[in-house]
Amino acid sequence: MNCENDKAFISSWINNEMTAAERTAFEQHLLTCTECRQELEATQQVWKLMGEIPAPAASADMPVQFQGMLEQYKESQTVTTKPNPLRVLVDKLRQLWLLQPGMQLAYTIVLIVIGIGAGSLLNTQGGNKQEIAALSSQVHEMKEMMMLSLLENPSASERIRGVSYSSEIKTANKEVIEALLSTLNNDQNVNVRLITLEALTQYAGEPSVREGLVKSIVQQESPLVQSALADIMLKLQEKRSVQSFKKLLQQKDLNNAIRNKIEQTISGLI
Amino acid sequence: MNPLTDNAIMLKVKNGDLDKLGLLFERHHRSLFGFLFHMTGQRELSEDMAQNVFYRILKYKHAFRGDGEFKTWMYHLARNVINDNGRAVKRTVKHQEVTNLAEEIAGSYLADESIQKKQELALLKNAMNNLQPESREILILSKFQELKYHEIAAIMDITEGAVKVRVHRALHQLKNVYLQIAN
Repeated sequence: MNCENDKAFISSWINNEMTAAERTAFEQHLLTCTECRQELEATQQVWKLMGEIPAPAASADMPVQFQGMLEQYKESQTVTTKPNPLRVLVDKLRQLWLLQPGMQLAYTIVLIVIGIGAGSLLNTQGGNKQEIAALSSQVHEMKEMMMLSLLENPSASERIRGVSYSSEIKTANKEVIEALLSTLNNDQNVNVRLITLEALTQYAGEPSVREGLVKSIVQQESPLVQSALADIMLKLQEKRSVQSFKKLLQQKDLNNAIRNKIEQTISGLI
Repeated sequence: MNPLTDNAIMLKVKNGDLDKLGLLFERHHRSLFGFLFHMTGQRELSEDMAQNVFYRILKYKHAFRGDGEFKTWMYHLARNVINDNGRAVKRTVKHQEVTNLAEEIAGSYLADESIQKKQELALLKNAMNNLQPESREILILSKFQELKYHEIAAIMDITEGAVKVRVHRALHQLKNVYLQIAN
């Protein structure tokens, strides 16, 4: 038998942690091996002695201290568990929620349907619509007023701003058109006149606007405005303008480039 | 009447009957204190630690599943408490071993023992303190706590075979150190 191997059994034997077979084999070996017997005895002695190492008894205060600790713990628990009923309910709801993804989907769909329903219901109610219409007409009026007052401003840039407001007024009334036409004919600043011309072409569908533009041709002295008017007339195919352009051609101091352009325009219109 | 098992009581505690922990404390605080004392060599510290272990039992009661023994779980927590106290404890043990030993041995517990026995015990205790902390721990669990190998395995989270090997190695070492000092 291997002695080294058996020595490993010594502590197991002492602690009674062996199977019956192991025990028999080991005890048999002990009978023949003095070395192992001595080792066992020495170890056993130490092991036994170790059990006699003194330790003080646990103090009698310990149970008292334990009770104190327990009471303190219970108190701290009741403080934190006071809002418990609510928390338990919330937790349960949350669990229910998490456990059923189908429910989540159903709630989502229901909410969307309610949203759409409420939205369409609100839309069909006329009250809002009327209010909005009233408000937008008020805004419209204010813009008109702004525009008209800006057109009389001494500063050219302010007047340009006024004209540009007209592009936001979709259905221009007579007053606005008159104001724009008079600006086109009388404003000293070429830029203001050009912008005004551009603004007026928006309302080219109105007969009064077309008429005003045609009449304006002879009143313009700036080549830039004349050329712009020619372009517009060509675009609108306004035959009545031919007469005015011909009058313009009779002017002696007319710019040569403009003369050519007007001649082309006339041929385009006829 | 059949007294309730530790596990049955602990499960009651887990379910909110906190007062039942008093029964477990009554059953185990002495041996727990003994373990901590042998590990640290300090009486007051060991008492504090034992309270700390039971505090953790309360705090972590939800983690007790009842599939292992209450006792092994308790020692498992006790080891954590010792580890949390850290090196400070180990250092004090080394420091204390010489100074307190004589007083302790000469103390009231051994009043009727022979002088020779006192000397032997002082030497053995010295030898114990010379062991690796892990070796000392496994011998304490086996000897003083009278735990079986499979219980120690559960406490230390190792296999029973590993416990067998470690106990043997530690005991062999202890015997050699003791004989060396004694002669």
